Amino acid sequence: MFWRLKRLWGEPTFKTSYDAVMIGGGIHGLAAAYFLAREHGIKDVAVLERRHVGYGGSGRNTAIVRANQRTAENVRLYDEGLKLWPRLIAELDFNMMPFHCGNLNLGHSEAAMAALRLAVGTANFCGVRSEILDRQQCRELIPELDISDRPTYPIFGGMYHPPGGILRHDAVAWGLAKGAAGQGVHIHQNTEVTGLGLEGGKVVSVETSRGRIRTPRVLICAGGYSVMIAALIGLKLPIHALTIQAMVTQPLKPILHHVISSGAYHVYANQTLKGEIATGAHMDPWPNYTTNTTAHYIKHQAEAMTDLLPFLRGVRFMRHWAGLADMTPDMAPIMDGNDPVEGLYLDCGWGYFGFKSGPIAGKYMAEFMARGQCPEMLEPFNLRRFENFRPMGETAAVVTYGPNN
Amino acid sequence: MSFTITCPICGRRDLYEFRFGNEDRGAPPDQEGLTREAYTDYVHHREAVAGPQKEWWCHRFGCGIWFTVWRDTSTGREVEAPEGRT
Repeated sequence: MFWRLKRLWGEPTFKTSYDAVMIGGGIHGLAAAYFLAREHGIKDVAVLERRHVGYGGSGRNTAIVRANQRTAENVRLYDEGLKLWPRLIAELDFNMMPFHCGNLNLGHSEAAMAALRLAVGTANFCGVRSEILDRQQCRELIPELDISDRPTYPIFGGMYHPPGGILRHDAVAWGLAKGAAGQGVHIHQNTEVTGLGLEGGKVVSVETSRGRIRTPRVLICAGGYSVMIAALIGLKLPIHALTIQAMVTQPLKPILHHVISSGAYHVYANQTLKGEIATGAHMDPWPNYTTNTTAHYIKHQAEAMTDLLPFLRGVRFMRHWAGLADMTPDMAPIMDGNDPVEGLYLDCGWGYFGFKSGPIAGKYMAEFMARGQCPEMLEPFNLRRFENFRPMGETAAVVTYGPNN
Repeated sequence: MSFTITCPICGRRDLYEFRFGNEDRGAPPDQEGLTREAYTDYVHHREAVAGPQKEWWCHRFGCGIWFTVWRDTSTGREVEAPEGRT
């Protein structure tokens, strides 16, 4: 070799005490550790990962970023998240392969168009670019789109959200891991959490497969497995894990220049920098901790995609995979801390929004953990909103509008 | 290998013929003296166990009956009820 390959993050010695412990070595945990070390000077931090960095949802999502959610609280958070990517890429000096292609949501009924108008209204209210397109304008954006009456669900129009795009999800996880390790954070892979120690209503330790760690702060950011971690201390969460599937086709020449999604067909698709059409969205509605894929879904996806984009007929699917999505009743995440257990912080219930929110959620959770006080941005996302009958309105998002409502 | 659910009337059928009706949470709590916590617990909170759990299913594209089955969430497969439980 001409040069010594340097590892992005090493194998640090396992200490028995840390100032903060992140349970889950995905984008959320790594980002929280990175910002805790970099912006708040808490560098004695461990990130515990049962498998390896980016094995879970961080490496299984379809890498789309956007800020066109339904409620203003969410749009503001995701918008700040979008603005954080360039800064993060520069700061970490890591190529996360961003592609600022914009996001087109299709509406296939008048009700869906009304939902799109509401989403555009919310976005514009928050200063986020988003606009309504009629079906002809949709075609101008994506010439391959079939806007005739032939498809099962003809296109009525769409919402174009220019700030959206895609990044390479592995690169995000690796870049954050490198950045966190560079700040002195210990990343422990193959380390399973088996228990949490409490004393007088406070977190004091984390039991792992490699021994006990004493720590005053613990962040649960284990994606679909967060419920199981919370259950270790009898804390029940309004979350259930669903398996979500995605797939890529064989690589094609550049042809799809925007992220495209449709609630009625229940698909979204984008062309990766490698040329594959990455597409996904199917979720079986029964809880699962498996990452099984189903033939049922390949068929559904092929039908939906060729109906919307007829040029895809005959293109082959190359890979098909699945990951876990931790769903909440109101489709909005749970970010909370010191309630009901002091020192225990939650960053979970992201559903299929975990990738786009990773760094920004990490940044705010780091602030929360460093100061012990909830940042204003995160207040609406508290766990008690369900018992206070104040759920968020994200279930009214565009994706839930089918062809018949 | 496919996923199936056993309907008490129609027998073992493809999973996609069925509608999932959530974990079995028992009877709703008494309205009398119902607290927010108890209500939230019943409506929203899940056990979300990784293992066998009792669930409600409806044979939507079949006979339409609602019934309970045990299913292992760590494999996705229907299982026998654990010993001592129904």
